Amino acid sequence: MSHSGFNDSAEKDHMSEIAHTTDGANGEGQTAVKLTRKDFQTDQEVRWCPGCGDYSILAQVQKVMPELGIPRENIVFISGIGCSSRFPYYMNTYGFHTIHGRAPAFATGVKLANPKLQVWVITGDGDALSIGGNHFIHALRRNIDLKIILFNNRIYGLTKGQYSPTSELGKKNKSAPMGTIDYPINPLSMAFAAEATFVARSMDIDPKHLSTMIERLAHHKGSGFLEVYQNCNIFNDGTFKSFNEREVRDDRMIYLENGKPLLFGKNKDKGIHIDKVKPEIVAIGENGVTIDDILVHDENALEPNLSYILGRMQFPEYPVPMGVFRAVHKPTYEQMLHGQVSKSISISGAGDIEKLINAGETWEIN
Amino acid sequence: MTKELIKGNEAVVKAAILAGCRSFYGYPITPASEITEAAARYFPLAGGTFLQAESEIASINMVYGAAAAGERTMTASSGPGISLMQEGISYLAGSELPCVIVDITRGGPGLGNIAPEQSDYHQVVKGGGHGNYRTIVLAPNSVQEMCDLTFLAFDLADKYRNPAIVMTDGFIGQMMEPVEFPTTSVEAPARPWAVLGNAETRNNLITSIYMSPDELEAHQRHLEAKYARANRGEELFEAYRTDDAEVITIGYGIVSRILKTAVDQAREMGIKAGLFRPITLWPFPDRQIDIIADWTKSFMVVELSNGQMVDDVRLAVNGRRPVNFYSRGGGNVPTVDELLGQLIKVSEDSYVRENISESEELFWGV
Repeated sequence: MSHSGFNDSAEKDHMSEIAHTTDGANGEGQTAVKLTRKDFQTDQEVRWCPGCGDYSILAQVQKVMPELGIPRENIVFISGIGCSSRFPYYMNTYGFHTIHGRAPAFATGVKLANPKLQVWVITGDGDALSIGGNHFIHALRRNIDLKIILFNNRIYGLTKGQYSPTSELGKKNKSAPMGTIDYPINPLSMAFAAEATFVARSMDIDPKHLSTMIERLAHHKGSGFLEVYQNCNIFNDGTFKSFNEREVRDDRMIYLENGKPLLFGKNKDKGIHIDKVKPEIVAIGENGVTIDDILVHDENALEPNLSYILGRMQFPEYPVPMGVFRAVHKPTYEQMLHGQVSKSISISGAGDIEKLINAGETWEIN
Repeated sequence: MTKELIKGNEAVVKAAILAGCRSFYGYPITPASEITEAAARYFPLAGGTFLQAESEIASINMVYGAAAAGERTMTASSGPGISLMQEGISYLAGSELPCVIVDITRGGPGLGNIAPEQSDYHQVVKGGGHGNYRTIVLAPNSVQEMCDLTFLAFDLADKYRNPAIVMTDGFIGQMMEPVEFPTTSVEAPARPWAVLGNAETRNNLITSIYMSPDELEAHQRHLEAKYARANRGEELFEAYRTDDAEVITIGYGIVSRILKTAVDQAREMGIKAGLFRPITLWPFPDRQIDIIADWTKSFMVVELSNGQMVDDVRLAVNGRRPVNFYSRGGGNVPTVDELLGQLIKVSEDSYVRENISESEELFWGV
């Protein structure tokens, strides 16, 4: 596989590959199965607070899963610790509720032990970015075929309301009674820095967009990362509402579409223009600005520089981007690993454990 | 005498500040999160540092740094977090740095649950980290003792230049009781060995690395001599109605309070029962147990674990008397009736057996 860009036709090919179950992640030698959303639900009592944004993410994942045509026994959901990490209990697939921050490492072990499994990692801003920051970066960097969804609610919900690595500077909460003095981290910036090959963002209150992003993530081969803005209505209610409420969304958010100019606003008359490295908002028709001045989004660009700039755009200075920032194809870790195994076998012949063990310098004592 | 109705987890923080502690580094975890939250409230008021770290590993290493810089410092967590700190605790002990660590024990192993247990005895008292070291361990059984023993922990940590751990079950951390706090605060003692950033301490070296076998052995001998001093003089215990007791119950933390009532009720029934409560778990009051073994007929150890402290009791008793063991786990706590029933059984059994030396130990549990 080459390092070529990932384009629409390549994606379609890839999707059809999955549909025809020739792909490893689809269960070797099995024909596509017809499942419904119900098949992915469990009898477990969902223990999230009423009104939590997590319900929406669960519903969209359960909606997307049957469309992938993968048998449930070939799917694994792996989580760490936090509210989001209760997710595997609610998916009728294989699931692991693991250690705080360690889900990406655990998932790496699962994927390499059985590459035909489709492996999902469900994590949160605390789990992935504080204690798990290390594992998160290295799972992305290796380009292992993991599908990581980060529920970002900018708070520690499970321990009842302390600030998280994404909490806004100055936010008052139980462990920062005078407001936090920790600068928040941008999860997308981390993913770009770690060379993730798929990076996207969506939100709990836009289920249609969310399901599209989950689907895109599912079809990506390699380390995929989806950040979901998720409202914690108990400990951090309304943290995203200044820009994501329906009434203001058009003017304060921008949906990324590959190959299309970055336009937003009710009438799509505003856009993002890049002058040197700083994005600016321009109005089409004003000051001689035309559609040609608007940055055209290219999620397949090999260098993530422009995506990085887009990923850093925050309200109120900019509209908040939603969508796929980056989708490129590189050989995955497991492909290269098994490539090395095949190569060493082709050079040295099939393995013989006894021969190997007795291959050192040996001598007999008489 | 002024008393304040306060939660155990909060009393720890007030006591620490009164003891001259000026920095707290921690990470939220149930059932210890209130310590972090109270520290966030109170440390700034005392001119101290509060920092919510990204993990328990970070917390203990921040403590490591603050202790080296000559500050009275602390952290707090629960079982899983204490496990993560073990590497740092070994380095702190090896570098002879004083600090206080609070463990509000929850259920394990693994994720276990958030209900109270006493199953951290092994990892805390025996040292869950690597190498030849000891930690001083104090086990409060009331909110008043959460205050008093935290205060003492800072003094012992400084006296022996060693980490001191206040370990209790989730009950004591979560319950509210009236507490009489010291009316005046103390200043941390001078620490001429620390690296204070002045000319006098420029040549001080804080390290746990001794590359030459002879040097490391000498360092270990030095630590052993220090531990031997602590082991003969710092033991604390409570002996209740043990003077004529024929069955002596042994328990710490919440268990000791239930046992006390059971002992009183047994006495009313004519059973000569007593209670021995270790307050320091290391140094363990083994000599005192050895002394009461002279006259009692048998022991009954009760723990919220599968039998961890009971090993130390058996070593102290050295086979001279039967050591019976009763336990509950998973967050369950025995009732007074339950323990009274066990006490009756043990007393009948020890009466029946005239020749104790030939009798077998009794084991039963959940």
